[in-house]
Formats: sequence, C-alpha cells, structure tokens
Amino acid sequence: MSAGAEPSLAVRRLRKTFGHVVAVDDVSLEAAPGEFLSLLGPSGCGKSTVLRMVAGLLEPDRGEVVLAGEDITRVAVHRRNLGLVFQSYALFPHMTVFDNAAFGLRRRRVAEALLRPRVERMLDLVRLGPLGARYPRELSGGQQQRVALARALVTEPRVLLLDEPLSNLDALLRDEMRVELKRLQQRLGTTMIFVTHDQAEALILSDRVLVMEAGRVEQVGRPEDVYRRPATAFVARFLGRANFLAGVVAQRGADGIVVALDGGLSVVAGARDDLAAGQRVQVAIRQESIRLVPAGGDAARVNRFPVTVAFHAFAGPAHHYVVQLVDGRELEVASPGADTPLQRGTAALVEWAPEDVILLPGGSPAGGAPAPEDPR
Amino acid sequence: MRGRGGLLLAPSLVLLVLAFAIPVGMLVPTSFRPYVPLVGITSGFTARYYTKLVTDSYYLEIIGRTLGLGLTVTALTLVIGYPVAFFLARTRSRWRGWLTILVVFPLLLNLVVRTFGWIALLAQNGLVNQAMIALGLVHGPVVLLFNFAGLLIGLTHIFLPFMVLVLVGAIQNIPRDVEDAARVLGASWASAFARVTLPLSLPGVLSGSILVFVLTISALVTPRLLGGPTYQVMSTLIYDEFLQRLNWPAGSAQALLLTVMVLVLVFLSGLLARRTGARA
Repeated sequence: MSAGAEPSLAVRRLRKTFGHVVAVDDVSLEAAPGEFLSLLGPSGCGKSTVLRMVAGLLEPDRGEVVLAGEDITRVAVHRRNLGLVFQSYALFPHMTVFDNAAFGLRRRRVAEALLRPRVERMLDLVRLGPLGARYPRELSGGQQQRVALARALVTEPRVLLLDEPLSNLDALLRDEMRVELKRLQQRLGTTMIFVTHDQAEALILSDRVLVMEAGRVEQVGRPEDVYRRPATAFVARFLGRANFLAGVVAQRGADGIVVALDGGLSVVAGARDDLAAGQRVQVAIRQESIRLVPAGGDAARVNRFPVTVAFHAFAGPAHHYVVQLVDGRELEVASPGADTPLQRGTAALVEWAPEDVILLPGGSPAGGAPAPEDPR
Repeated sequence: MRGRGGLLLAPSLVLLVLAFAIPVGMLVPTSFRPYVPLVGITSGFTARYYTKLVTDSYYLEIIGRTLGLGLTVTALTLVIGYPVAFFLARTRSRWRGWLTILVVFPLLLNLVVRTFGWIALLAQNGLVNQAMIALGLVHGPVVLLFNFAGLLIGLTHIFLPFMVLVLVGAIQNIPRDVEDAARVLGASWASAFARVTLPLSLPGVLSGSILVFVLTISALVTPRLLGGPTYQVMSTLIYDEFLQRLNWPAGSAQALLLTVMVLVLVFLSGLLARRTGARA
C-alpha cells in the first residue's frame, strides 16, 4: 500500500494458462496487514485460480507471490503457513471437530498440552465450544463452515484465504456468517483474501474490492469507490443494477459535463477533466439513484425527464419500476419501499443528481437501456 | 418405501434362493450320509466327514493353504493395485480411458488361455526362468509351477483388476479439497496421504479385499491348471471329491465348510465396515 508499510501479501504479474485458455493474465494485488480484500468476479474469471496460486496448490506460469516480503512462489504448499477455507468446507470426515481444528497445530508439532487450550479457545470463538467431540456430518452447514474457519485460524496464519466460503449456505445463514466473519477478522486482525461472486457480500465485508473479469483486474478500490465510480462498464454492471445510455460529451464546464444522449436528451454529470468534448461515452445511472416523482412539477430542471410507468413490482425494501422516456427508452428505477407506489400507465417525472451519473469512456453507439449483454 | 424396496429386491432374492440357498441347503443332508466305495451313498448318519476335515492333517493343510493363499493374494493385489488405482483416480491425462482399459484387459481374455500363458512363462524352461538365469539372478531353474508361488502369481494377476476397479471408485469419492486442506494446514504430501487419503479410502480397501479374498479361495480353474493334480486347494479338492472319487458326502462337507468360511468373513467385514463407517 503506502510506501512505509510492507504489504502482508503481494502478488505480482501472476499468469496462469490451462492448455490454450488464459485463466489469469497479469494479475497484481497487494493486501495491507489486517486488511480484508475481496476478489470479486463472475464464475470463471480466474479469481479462485489466483487464490490457489497464492496457497501453492497451483503453480503460476509467471509472476511472484510475496508473503510479508518473502518470495514464496516456489515454496511448497505445506510450508507457506497460510489458511484456506473452501466453499465445500473440506473438513476431514473421519475426525472429530476437535481433531479437525487441531490438525494444523499437530502438523506443526505443537505439544498436546499446549494445543488443547488453543484449539478450545478458537472453537469457543466460533461458538462451537461444546461440539468438539462431534463428527462433521453431525453438524449443520453453518457449523461445518465455522469448524473450517477455526481449523484455519488456530494456526495463526499470516494470511487467511477464503474461497467462496459462504456460497453453500442458505441466504439467512449467509447473512449471519458474514457478520461473524467480519467480527472475527476485526478481533484477530488477520489479513483476509476473500474470493466471491456475490457483489453485496464483497461490498459489505471488504476494506477494498478487486474486481476481476476474464483473468484480468478491472478495478481495485474501496467498496464505495468501485460502486460509485466504476472504471469500466463491466464493473458498473457487475456491482449492481444500472441503466446504460450512450452519448457524446457535448460541453465541459467547471460545474459539470453535459452529455448529449443518442436519443436527443441531455444529461448533466459531475465535473471531471479526463474527458474531451466530442468523445463518445456511456452514461450509467444506478436504479436507486433515480428519484421518481409525481408529474406536475417543473419538467425543465437538470436531469429531470417526464416518463410513463411501464411496470411496477413491490420487493419489500424497494419498489421496482420500469419507466419509459419520451424517446421510447426504458429505465429501471428502485424507490424506497415505504413510498406510495405509482401504478402502471401513470405519468411521472424521473430525476437524479449530477454526481450520481457515472461516465464511462467509449461505449457502444447502439447503447440504450436496459444495457446490452456484452459490456465491451 | 419398505414395500417398494422389497419389490426391487425380489428378482435377486428369487435368484439367490433358487441358485444358492436351496442347492447349499441340499448339501446339508448329503454331508451326513455315509459313502461306501463301489456302493455309493447309503442311508444312515455319520459326522465323519466333518471330523476328518478338522482333524486330518491332510485336510487341515489344504484348508490352511487355501486361507494363506487368499490372504497373500489379497495383500499382493492391494499393494500392487493401490498405487495404480490412485494414479487412475487422480490423473487428468487424456490417456486415462486407455489406461483403465489396460487394467481391465486381462479380464477380456479367456481364463484358460491366460492360465496356459502363465504355464508357458513359469515352466522349468519357461521365459521367466530363462530370463532369471540369463540375468544371473539364479543358478538353476526355480520351481514356479505346481506350488504356492505358481498359484500366487497366477491368482494375483487374475484378480488384480477387481481390486484396482474397486479402489479407483473409492479414491475418486474422496474430494480433492479435503487433501488440499490437509496440505495447506501443513501436512506434507506423504502425511496428507497417511492421515487423510488412506483412511478415507479404507471402505474401498475393505470391499476390494473381501472381493479378492472370496474370489481367490473359491477359484477352481487357475489352481487346477497351475497347481496340477497334486497341489490341492479347497476348491480343487471339492471338485475331485464330487467328480473323481464320486464321494458326494465328503465333497458336500467340504463345500459347506468353504461356504461357512466365506459367510463368516463377509459378516465380520460387514461389522468392521459399520464400525469404520460410523466414523467416516
């Protein structure tokens, strides 16, 4: 990270191919001590491959893995002193919970007398204290994953790697485990690298998120940054629903950028100086950034457009709408669930703040909303 | 559910009763009838065929030899087969399918042909002896036929594929993640194998061993051809009692003993499997 602190884990220009398929291409990352870093991406984007190379279960074609300043790229798996938690839990079915948790310490030849209190303390920490004598198959999925966490953490690994650890749990349990995991991390201060395809999970848990796609890093940043200021259309799309509109930069000013959309409408975005007038851009507006107001107000204000409600559904915390602009294009809107819903066919106004407008350089001329399948 | 389970089992149950339980049951009365040479089976009652089996050193030696052969063949197929099975279960090579066929290939050849092949190889001036003499390993030909060594070689070869196939299935069932977890936790490859992979493959080891043991002690053609007319095991002994000496009562008693030995073994291994299964 900053020049002073040595990263707990650094990966430099890692590359891995399987046959002709490039699974990981030139991936670099750094995790500061005690940081919670998520690798986020769709399945097959190479995030788990990066994790397995860090763990030593796969050998990279190129690049380095550096643990606290020490190059461990060629160090054997069992000498790396890392922790790894699997999606499948990967508990030893023929051992009790206690023996599972004690496995790592026993391999490190810790005396039984010293090992017992350490394992018991860790099992208490994951709230499995009284279940030490059980076998994994006698536990629920959430309990099994907590055993896996305890087993990995009790050896005090320099970095804990987590490969989609919550994906096999049902939704309610997953929420619980997220909180538990985050608390555990804050309490123990362990550096954690967390692989997930679930953007909400990544945003909630992480200090920083690294978004991957097709073996490459798309963006690294704090959750707010990757969510509010995505660097690419892929990131914008992967981190939440957004409406994509193609256009051209018409005017640049200190108080904002005016984008002429292909349909004839104009959108004002927050000021930035890396875009030139005449440049093609894609405008992305998150569905919850759009405010839906009843018709009748002043329709001439900035970023305010008349629409007709085309679809409405209630989803608990939010109302989901599809509204149609005058040029026929549709926008997805999410408004607070407590609002009075607008019925289908109602005329209304949409508006959004200039700073909520995401501008992405390039973009397809054929753009529209909802956005096309392929982000590039 | 119970009723439907019974229905699904019905065909095999009928077969089991008709082809196994009834014939074996019919051996029981026969085994207690006295056999008089030149006369045949007479009416009356005698337990002498059983007492002979457990007291006569001739029979005891054959029983011991049969069990010893079963254990040795089982151990050998296990030792040779486990690495092969482990490789087949874990390799991602595109040759995997062909390698599996190679393992099964001996089963595709006729048993008699395979056994005569071993006779040609193991004979006094056969290929194996010629090679060993040429290499200076031995001074004169070694007796490899009509003795324990010959049977051991032939039976191990024939039953190896069964062991390998059972073990491949068992090892494939062990998730790779579990092995990987052991290694990340600090276990070397050998330690992860000894503490995780091997214990988790024990059910396969057990069923493969039972299969090979039972097949070995009941094999007839191979022991007959490789052991000749004088080096007997229980199955050849039973065959001779029935078809050479026509002493059905003695043959029945021996056949029943062999059956009981197999059933006891299967029962014991079932108990063992349940105990290890309770932990796994």
